[in-house]
Amino acid sequence: MEMGNDVALSVRNLKTYIYTNNRCNRALDGVSFEIRQGKTLCIVGESGCGKSVTAASIMQLLPTLSRIEDGEITYHGPDGPVRIDALERDGAKMRAIRGKEIAMIFQDPMTALNPVYSIGFQIKEMLRYHTSLGRKDRHSKAIDLLRSMGIPLPERRVDEYPHLYSGGMRQRAMIAIAMSCNPRILIADEPTTALDVTIQAQIFELMDTLKRENGTAIMLITHDMGVVAELADDVAVMYMGNIVEAGPVGKVLRKPVHPYTRALLDSIPVLGRGKDQEIKAIPGQTPDPYNRPTGCQFADRCAYRVSACDEMPPETMVADDHRVMCWRYQEFMADAAE
Amino acid sequence: MLTYIARRLLTLIPMVIVISFLIYLGLELTPGDAVSHMIPPDAYGSMDEDRLQELRESLGLGKPFLVRYWIWISGVLQGDFGYSLAGGVPISKIFLDRLPATLELSIAALLISTVLGSILGTISALTRGSLTDQSLTVVGMLGVSIPEFFFGLVAILIFALNLEWLPVGGRTLPGYDSFWDRLPHLVMPAMVLSIMMTAGVMRYARSSMLDALSRDFIRTARSKGMPEWRVNILHGFRVALTPVIVLIGFRLPVLIGGSVIIEQVFQWPGIGKEFVSAVRSQDYPLVMMVALFSVLAVLVASLIVDLLTAIIDPRVRLGD
Amino acid sequence: MTDATVTRPRTRRDAQFDRIRDREAKLAGTTQRKGRFLSKFLNNRLAVIGFAIFAVICLMSLFAPLIAQHDPMSPNLRAIAKPPSAEHWFGTDKTGRDIFARVLYGGRVSILVGLGSALLSALIGVIIGVYSGYVGGWLDWIAMRISEIFMSFPQIILVLLLVAILGQSLVNLIVIFTLTGWGGIYRMARARMLSIREEEYVQALRSFGLGPARIAYKHMLPNALGPIMVNITLSTAAFILQEAGLSFLGLGVPLSIPTWGNILNAAQDLRVLEQNWWIWLPVGATISLFVLSVNFIGDGLRDATDPSQQG
Ligand SMILES: Nc1ncnc2c1ncn2[C@@H]1O[C@H](COP(=O)(O)OP(=O)(O)O)[C@@H](O)[C@H]1O
Ligand SMILES: [Mg+2]
Repeated sequence: MEMGNDVALSVRNLKTYIYTNNRCNRALDGVSFEIRQGKTLCIVGESGCGKSVTAASIMQLLPTLSRIEDGEITYHGPDGPVRIDALERDGAKMRAIRGKEIAMIFQDPMTALNPVYSIGFQIKEMLRYHTSLGRKDRHSKAIDLLRSMGIPLPERRVDEYPHLYSGGMRQRAMIAIAMSCNPRILIADEPTTALDVTIQAQIFELMDTLKRENGTAIMLITHDMGVVAELADDVAVMYMGNIVEAGPVGKVLRKPVHPYTRALLDSIPVLGRGKDQEIKAIPGQTPDPYNRPTGCQFADRCAYRVSACDEMPPETMVADDHRVMCWRYQEFMADAAE
Repeated sequence: MLTYIARRLLTLIPMVIVISFLIYLGLELTPGDAVSHMIPPDAYGSMDEDRLQELRESLGLGKPFLVRYWIWISGVLQGDFGYSLAGGVPISKIFLDRLPATLELSIAALLISTVLGSILGTISALTRGSLTDQSLTVVGMLGVSIPEFFFGLVAILIFALNLEWLPVGGRTLPGYDSFWDRLPHLVMPAMVLSIMMTAGVMRYARSSMLDALSRDFIRTARSKGMPEWRVNILHGFRVALTPVIVLIGFRLPVLIGGSVIIEQVFQWPGIGKEFVSAVRSQDYPLVMMVALFSVLAVLVASLIVDLLTAIIDPRVRLGD
Repeated sequence: MTDATVTRPRTRRDAQFDRIRDREAKLAGTTQRKGRFLSKFLNNRLAVIGFAIFAVICLMSLFAPLIAQHDPMSPNLRAIAKPPSAEHWFGTDKTGRDIFARVLYGGRVSILVGLGSALLSALIGVIIGVYSGYVGGWLDWIAMRISEIFMSFPQIILVLLLVAILGQSLVNLIVIFTLTGWGGIYRMARARMLSIREEEYVQALRSFGLGPARIAYKHMLPNALGPIMVNITLSTAAFILQEAGLSFLGLGVPLSIPTWGNILNAAQDLRVLEQNWWIWLPVGATISLFVLSVNFIGDGLRDATDPSQQG
């Protein structure tokens, strides 16, 4: 992987373990990817595979009983590269990056906003710490932000409390907070899972607009392949703490090389293909995170399992921008070429 | 907001009526001539039977129960609480004399336990699992387990009798009546009275704070790059505060109850001490009136707590 | 693979993490589930200690006649207000009665009052709360209003009011405590029922045509037992404290019967307080220790039965 200067953030061999209940959960076991400036990277995978932990590692918002064991997270900011994993968790340097350089929005807008403060307060709080705007300017900027997020009557709604906002409105407000300091990277962790389908589309449209207008790099976590096809430039497919396949959206969706990616794609209905299409659920369940297989994590559920799968496959480049973690990738590549 | 207050008041009124009714029932059923606590006792003593009978008529005692209740409650509403059997003092006068002392003690204890309890509970939550947290938890447990009056006895022994730093009891010495003269008298009773409540508030503040800190908006605040103090205090503590205030409101009766015993231990000249001697001497009118007013105090306190939470928490304020 | 130029300072937590990680690495592949239960048990060691203290004090009170060398009631004019000695372990009081014996015998009454009132009020509260919580309707409405009336009094004031009316006796005290104490557990049981009522299995039982009493007591009650147990322990502690307080005022159990509170009553006298510490200090400590142990048990029960308290 060449390090183009359009890379906003690179993660290399990241291992994050969680130590709750006196057990060790190897939530991330060697994850590498890059987020490119002005592009959207989608991370997909079943729940529990480590998507949120990846985001939390980047933001250093991990649970107390957890640790980045190994690997590098490098933010390529305007002032040169910063090793995020080496920063103190809630230290001043990390805080200067959070919100200002890398902002984040969360899955459930119902709970992600503080119920006892007005939306305006929660936006202005951000401006107060990351910009030099005065009190009045902060207020008008907050109104502008709400307006550009498509919230009607922003002058009035700025002083309202979250419980008066609908779910979609709250997520817009959340995005307003996240975008208020013009971050270079926006991390969105399943931002629409808690919302109605119609609202989902609006939120994604808003994010796409922001990306185009501001050149923000987006890391979008989702388990919706439809969204990936719509929005992504790059895709990373995760399974049990590994990225099993990654590459540009065209290649990964059209010519998937990893059996898990294929299974994921087979498990969703495609609009317009009629009701005769074959939908195959992925058999079995994800393994117990405390009792992971030693080899390929997907082996137990994989239809193509061979004895080699008892060992962890290496990450292999199948094209200069397409990477896979599977022993039998060559067979699948030939298959995909047909 | 005004309608909110009005509605809360309206729900309280039936309660007050029922309880005052029960209290009056108690007054009628307890031994003693009903006339005896409605007129000054020396007047009662000097009357012959005919005159008493006349008086009973005029006081409405021959009338049906509901009418008698009505006469009584109208009197109470106008400040005529009847007469104490002991010494024949008007009960309203006893209240006027003793209430300031009780209020002073309760409010001091309330302040101490609210402030100390929420600070210690917050510290405990923020240092969860540490030695500080564990010691505070055990100390809190001791606080709710040791009888308050036993604390009081030990405190008197140490600080008053042995070290002689503080007076043994009472509220003031004759002739020394300024606030600064009275303060040393207040220290021990207020501290001792606040112990149990402080421990309760602390335990509750800890769990409320832990709950608040585990919420999503805390992570949001961190993701915005806010400094830790702001995350913990402005976002965490602020949200944890509402349930703590509600708890304090719920616990006020315990505080009022505690003052009954603590006033006895420290010879504090308040209503509680008066109440205990009234119970001892079966001075029913006084006992009943104190009980009635303690209920009112509890109801008013719960009303105040409701208002406070409405002010603090926007969801309550607007969410009706 | 660690980059030497950027390493964070190691903390105590890092050492702990390393330990867990290394242990897991050794056990890789083997299923191992014991650790969780073991740690949970160890976490409850306060409850275990509490239970031990509770058991010791209860047993000593129960077997008071075997342990105590002296009669708790008979005065001994040759040993008045004597400090602790080999003969009188806790000394004697102002009429020469052996305090150790009085504490043991007093424990019987105090524990009886505390535990008895707690169980009785739980019985009443649960019977009414479980049924009215499940069935609702006018019965529920009335029970709720009555409990509201009881609970709008500060408990000790209501208790003293009833003492003034009913008079002082052991039985009266238990009755009064029960009367004033059932409201809390009633509300708790009722609230539990209201939430269990909506669960599917209850709907299923109803569709089988089971009667409301059977559903409520036989099928729903067991699911509310955890919080009820916690409530009983906590109200035992509260009642013992109240008995002590009332008896200290001389308004609880009649002074002729030794109870922990009655023994402490002597400390109202400042001279006793200052000069005869053995008359009141040991018994005060006993009450505190006992209540503490009950509270530890209650906390342990709460942790063990509350599924939301993990880790
Ligand atoms: N706060 C946490 N405490 C303990 N374990 C966690 C926590 N967050 C995540 N995990 C564990 O880390 C693994 C990855 O979880 P996560 O990243 O949340 O999955 P997802 O892909 O659904 O976002 C899971 O095994 C999960 O149990
Ligand atoms: Mg997630």
